[in-house]
Amino acid sequence: MPSQVFSTADVRRLLEQGAQLLDVLGADEFAHDHLPGAINIPLKQLDASSAARLDRNRPVLVYCNDFG
Amino acid sequence: MFDYVPGKEGWYEDNGPREGQATDEIWIGDVADSTVPTCHLKERVGELRDRVRADGRDTCVAIDPQGIVLGLLRNRALEASPQATAEEVMAPGPKTFRPNVTLQELLKSMRDHDIQTNSLVTAADGRLLGVISRADAEATFAHEGTVEAAP
Repeated sequence: MPSQVFSTADVRRLLEQGAQLLDVLGADEFAHDHLPGAINIPLKQLDASSAARLDRNRPVLVYCNDFG
Repeated sequence: MFDYVPGKEGWYEDNGPREGQATDEIWIGDVADSTVPTCHLKERVGELRDRVRADGRDTCVAIDPQGIVLGLLRNRALEASPQATAEEVMAPGPKTFRPNVTLQELLKSMRDHDIQTNSLVTAADGRLLGVISRADAEATFAHEGTVEAAP
């Protein structure tokens, strides 16, 4: 299970420590707006092949739209 | 692996920056006034009116101790008996907007519903982020439209 992060301060701290931001929303929504520096892999396309874009040696911080 | 639970909405509620096409848009969270006067339910209108008007304002937002919006006191409510409480004269449960609504969308809603005063900007949990007046919304939109149209 991933660790849960709730505050923007924790997000910033993790990014400063080298974490990668992963946006799992659709491509159109990503094109419209996303967090700075995020990589987009829509949830439906997330598999071993697409995840190869991520650096295995750095933490991954994943987000979607909101709590829902 | 970390899960940022509040997601994009939470990020924008805290005024986090964004990338993408939306950087060309004006979001109401970008321009909302976060210094709007606030009050608690049991505050007396007389004291409240003095405080709000000394600040050159005509609106006050009633909030709970966590900053959650409970009601809105506009000019007419502030004219009530000085002994009345904010709770007795406020308009409860005012309509609110998320910070990532565009100024254009807000203005359309204000025009469609003939809202001449302030609209509230809140987080998903109802926490007050700021207000934007119809006049400021119109002026900002007109100004930005002019800037965008300039060569």
